[in-house]
Amino acid sequence: MNQISNSEEEVKEYQSRFKALYIVVGFASLIIVSRLWFLQIYQGEELREYSEKNRVKETKVLAPRGLILDRDGKVLVDNLPGFDVSITPQYAKKLDETATAVGEIINTPAAKIINDVKKGRRRDGPFRPIRLKDNLSLEEVYRLKLLRWDHPGLNINETVIRHYPLGPNGAQMFGYVGEIAREQIERLNQKYANRITFEQGDIIGQSGLELTWEQKIRGTDGIWYLEVDARGREANADTPRFLGLKPRNAVPGSNLVLTIDKDIQEAAYKAMFRDDVYGNRVGGVVVMKSNGEVLAWVNTPSFDPNEFTTGISNEVWDSLANNKLKPLRDKIIQDHFSPGSTFKPIVAVAALQEKIITPTTLVHAPAFIKFGRRIYHDHTKTGQGYITVLEAIERSSNVFFYRMGISLGIDKIAAYARALGLGEKSHIELPHEVSGLIPSSEWKLRTMGEEWQPGENLSNAIGQGFILTTALQMAIAYNTIALEGKVVKPFIVKKIMNVDNNVDQEFQPVIVRDVSKDPFKGVTVDPKTFQVVKEGMRRVANGNSGTARWWKVPGVEMAGKTGTSQVRSFSSEEIYDKCELHRFELRHHGWFVAYAPAEAPEIVIAVLAEHACHGNTGGAPVARDILMAYTQKYHPEKLKKDVQSRTPAAKSHAPILEENSDE
Amino acid sequence: MKTMELRTHLQVEERTFFKRIDLNLCAVILALNLIGLINLYSATHGVHITDKSNLFWMQIFWLFSGWTIFFLLTFLDYKFFDRFAYVIYASNVGALIAVHFFGKISYGAQRWLDLGFFRYQPSETMKLSLVLVLARILSRRDSSKKMGFTDLLWPGVIVGIPFIITVKQPDLGTAGLMALMATTMVIFSRVKTSILIIFLVLGAIAAPLVWNFGLKDYQKNRVLTFLSPGRDPRGTGYNSIQSKIAVGSGRIFGKGFRKGTQSQLEFLPERHTDFIFSVLSEEHGFVGSIFTLGLFVIIYVMSISIGAQARDPFGSMLVVGAIAYLFWHVFVNMGMVIGILPIVGAPLPLLSYGGSSLLSTMSVLGLLSSVAYRRYLF
Repeated sequence: MNQISNSEEEVKEYQSRFKALYIVVGFASLIIVSRLWFLQIYQGEELREYSEKNRVKETKVLAPRGLILDRDGKVLVDNLPGFDVSITPQYAKKLDETATAVGEIINTPAAKIINDVKKGRRRDGPFRPIRLKDNLSLEEVYRLKLLRWDHPGLNINETVIRHYPLGPNGAQMFGYVGEIAREQIERLNQKYANRITFEQGDIIGQSGLELTWEQKIRGTDGIWYLEVDARGREANADTPRFLGLKPRNAVPGSNLVLTIDKDIQEAAYKAMFRDDVYGNRVGGVVVMKSNGEVLAWVNTPSFDPNEFTTGISNEVWDSLANNKLKPLRDKIIQDHFSPGSTFKPIVAVAALQEKIITPTTLVHAPAFIKFGRRIYHDHTKTGQGYITVLEAIERSSNVFFYRMGISLGIDKIAAYARALGLGEKSHIELPHEVSGLIPSSEWKLRTMGEEWQPGENLSNAIGQGFILTTALQMAIAYNTIALEGKVVKPFIVKKIMNVDNNVDQEFQPVIVRDVSKDPFKGVTVDPKTFQVVKEGMRRVANGNSGTARWWKVPGVEMAGKTGTSQVRSFSSEEIYDKCELHRFELRHHGWFVAYAPAEAPEIVIAVLAEHACHGNTGGAPVARDILMAYTQKYHPEKLKKDVQSRTPAAKSHAPILEENSDE
Repeated sequence: MKTMELRTHLQVEERTFFKRIDLNLCAVILALNLIGLINLYSATHGVHITDKSNLFWMQIFWLFSGWTIFFLLTFLDYKFFDRFAYVIYASNVGALIAVHFFGKISYGAQRWLDLGFFRYQPSETMKLSLVLVLARILSRRDSSKKMGFTDLLWPGVIVGIPFIITVKQPDLGTAGLMALMATTMVIFSRVKTSILIIFLVLGAIAAPLVWNFGLKDYQKNRVLTFLSPGRDPRGTGYNSIQSKIAVGSGRIFGKGFRKGTQSQLEFLPERHTDFIFSVLSEEHGFVGSIFTLGLFVIIYVMSISIGAQARDPFGSMLVVGAIAYLFWHVFVNMGMVIGILPIVGAPLPLLSYGGSSLLSTMSVLGLLSSVAYRRYLF
């Protein structure tokens, strides 16, 4: 009993202490309640936003680039659906296993994948996916999809692949696309002043029309929100509704409708691979309607832009960049050359207009003339005798034009050349155009600090010397002659169609000037002057002594001029040597520029055949094939019935090269 | 019956089983069980998880087992534990040592003994054994005197042995909880003020030493992260940040059952065990959190009154131990979830998944119920 009473006392003793526990419990609860209030009510809204951001993965929906169509609506450049595979370093918890499994499917060593992922992580942080392979085959996609659940961080993405159905044909004009380079990002964002924001991983146009028209073609990428779990895997296929986040659909880029005619483009490309002594030609061809619409734009050799879309390998890139034949370069506007004898019609215009000669003036044109201490040769050993300007153009007499050069002087020649469209950029919608060079005495003094030498009038009058022109400029100048004074602006894009296929912008032909009416820097040219020169050019392709008389389209007359651009000056001993004896890189470039039909010009064709030695054999057959294709498409009624039987025969009429090589 | 009534006038014999048992306590426990199950269902049925859904059914099994223990302990006179406290304590320490040699390693620590159907965690029951043995020791001293240094020696040894073993596992959370519970019981039975001051001073001196020599890097990291969670948001700070986001994003009424994005999408780690309260806070908001906390407070209040009415000092001390057990578990766990305490492994009683935790809690409540059952002297 004693113990019990003791206990009772003790228990009572405890009671006051138990009361103290109420205070402890009350105080602790207060702490927790106030903290919960702070988190859930005071910071609740902010933390709710955090939790939303946590689960929301913003994904970019790539806008498909606009299509590029030809003038008839035929597809020149389009898009194909594709898949790529990537790894997000942050979520790839089992990188080694994942790399092994993926590597087996995409045929890449696991060590390389691990290395790439680690490198990407260091460079761009853990959340930027590292692309392992583009353009997966369907089988690869299926096999990779099976891996996805066991390998967090592995993504299979739908992509859009740029596709060039024409392959290498026209690649320099269409351009190619590729991932934006780091140094491009800032520059482009500045250039487009944030109307378009470029980010790493964006695919952008890197050359040609793809580059020039980037802003129109690229469209606007969409934003899509996905619900993801803590490991970055998609939790929900359908778009969840998030606080104030509105998904935005991608807006495809505008379609470009070109002035290009796919049929002519293909014919022109094919023409450069003619089955004759020259085989595959190196160079460029531009075909332009007389209103400035470009029908075909071909450079050879070329490259396949499709290879760039899926990430080009270093070896392929190096072989393209180091190729001596410069397949990446657009030789029509990015290179300029001496026009050679194709310059003679322009000098003829100047001489006639300046009344140095009349259409009937006979000029003595022997095998050579002496001027100062030098001897200036004709390209024939016999000379041409007494000839008029018509014959001089037809036979491409050097001595005739030496005399014109002496009489005109460089500054007069330059004024006419400029008036007709040479020596300035055409501002066609393609990048990196060069302006060519039309020299003058003032120019020489300014840039070289030397007086113009009278002897230089002779070489420049036959298109050698300082004069440089692009193939496109030659087409423009010849077109000016053909139209008797109208200088046109060449253009490739005819219409820009927006997403709804409505015309967003349409480009009309532009006549820059008409030198038969409005003086251009003091130069006006009578239509009659042009008509004389045109007759001379008609004879080049049709006259008995024409330098390009072997290549005709029955029913349609061409008018043009051959030319040779010296890669290197040969000594007087070498000058009559067969050009083909030299090393390929040292051989002359051949020019042939022509318009057709001669009586009512519709198109102009400029052919540059590098290292082809001659303008006639190198360039004229190409132009003839193109004109044939053009006539077949647009004027089939003009072609004589027996055209099919006579076409192959034309080839066998190969000229004797030495005698007719023009200079 | 009538005869008894006549003899005592106290109607003691009329108190049937159901009248003597504290039904209010049972009701509150049951309410917390239900909340726990609902919440656990949500935590184990996320968007991807299929292999965790069986945990829910396991927990129901543990609940039945827990209630069985609860009732067994209610009927068993707690005097039994007074008598066998040392035996229970010694065998538990034995199990703790066995873990050291045969234990399973998980999460980098050796905590479990595999008993085939059940992974037994001796450190979990050790907390319980400590309550028993301390209740025995403290109830036997003269409670009118405050404890001096010599009085503290023996309890110090008794707590020290399992404490050190648990620290070595390493399981700082459980060891810390043991220390907190033991300290609560000792202070409850009154300690000289001078001794308390000495311990506080010693603690202040020891802290930097422990920091430099006693803690492993990951443990230091946890403390540093607690002090500034932003220092490594994807690493050690991740749990703390995600938990706070989960709790806060619940706002007043919560996102709704199974609609908590933080838990369903696996941003919360350990959401079915230590971080179960963040699931609740996220899905049921401030209201749900306060309601749950309130139920725990009701249990404390009931326990305090049971303790105050206990028939003997051992019963009172047992209740103090039970309160200390429940209070510190709830406070440490919630404190960690809402970011006012560093992250340590402490389950939330009755809500966290886990057999060891649930059975221990139900045992503690069973002891409480046992004291309540016998609070009437006759």
